[in-house]
Amino acid sequence: MNTLEGEIKSIHTNGSLSLIKIKVKELLFSALVVETPDTASYLKKGNSIKIIFKETEVIIGKGKEHPLSIPNKIVGHISMIEKGEILSKIIVNTLVGELIAIITSEVMNEMVLEVNEEVTIMIKTSEIMLSK
Amino acid sequence: MIQIALQKNLIAANGDMLLDIDIKIKEGEFVTLYGDSGAGKTSILKMIAGLMPADNGLIKVRDKIWLDTKNNICLKTQQRRIGYVFQEYALFPNMTVKENLLFALEKGQDKQIITELIELIELGELKDRKPEMLSGGQKQRVALARALVRKPEILMLDEPLSALDHAMRSKLQDYILKVHKQLNLTTLLISHEMGEVLKMCDKVLVIEKGRITRYGNPIDVFTSKQVSGKFQFLGEIVEIEKEDIIYIVTVLIGANFVKIVADTSDIKTMKVGDKIVVASKAFNPLLQKIN
Repeated sequence: MNTLEGEIKSIHTNGSLSLIKIKVKELLFSALVVETPDTASYLKKGNSIKIIFKETEVIIGKGKEHPLSIPNKIVGHISMIEKGEILSKIIVNTLVGELIAIITSEVMNEMVLEVNEEVTIMIKTSEIMLSK
Repeated sequence: MIQIALQKNLIAANGDMLLDIDIKIKEGEFVTLYGDSGAGKTSILKMIAGLMPADNGLIKVRDKIWLDTKNNICLKTQQRRIGYVFQEYALFPNMTVKENLLFALEKGQDKQIITELIELIELGELKDRKPEMLSGGQKQRVALARALVRKPEILMLDEPLSALDHAMRSKLQDYILKVHKQLNLTTLLISHEMGEVLKMCDKVLVIEKGRITRYGNPIDVFTSKQVSGKFQFLGEIVEIEKEDIIYIVTVLIGANFVKIVADTSDIKTMKVGDKIVVASKAFNPLLQKIN
């Protein structure tokens, strides 16, 4: 589980969906939740909040430029790779701390990812959970 | 509104313990008393039933005072409108099911209630049998029906299902929920089973060493932090297996086993037997219609 602490910058609600922007250090994360400030008391501008996402939901891209429909992008450097038979774990050092990605070993070999390499971590808004 | 304030010095296994509670329960609510053995749960029910004296206390059910130690008011058990079901069946062995129910009638009470309860709790086929001819689950159904004969205002269930196997337990839970709703009962249940608490009750009281330490709806009470995941269940870890660079955690949720992938950092603080929250986002699960 990747957990980061941040501060709620904005809340855009429509019906029962809300798109929450959370500032973690200098980075802005977006999280889409089926909650509104009425249903979840912790959804308040200025509140500190945890953002949580699973290692297996993390996408890794080589380098910096990735024009994809994923708003959450964090650039960092690989600090460790743990290779497994089917899956591999990649620890990436970023501005917001260490983040973990679990991807298939096959794709990791194809991408030729190596320690110290610059990569971009990407997480879809719908994969981020919020917690007090 | 039912107001229950009780104080009593109890002699517990590890010394004296002061039981001290003060709660208000809405009529029609299903409330579970949850806590370790010896925390004082059964003593609370016994005091409400008038089967155990309180040192100090006030029990007010709607406008009626059942107990007020300051003014020396203490209604007898028979005067309190309660139904009580224990873990042991406590049926009269020499009487049939129907006779057991008839025996519970108050003087002059209309016998119609017996017919209604036999129908509601589906005892029709069993009504002429003696308790020895019944299974554990059937005996508990009869005990439940008997507790309802006098139309109680408060139904109290002291671990009534703990001696039953899983399938029977689940069925009995359904009967209890049915009578709770149909007869507009206020029900107090003692249970150790988190799954049971979640299925059955509106509110849970966590009792530790004679005090109420938490009170509220079960999800709020049992989860220390609120997560925005809409797909959320409480479960118990039954197995943790390392596979490749990840862990597969098997969790028992209700009667179902689910498997969840976890990372080393998740597993560090977890072991088999731990109660956990399984959470996912509303975006992930797929729905498929069953034909």
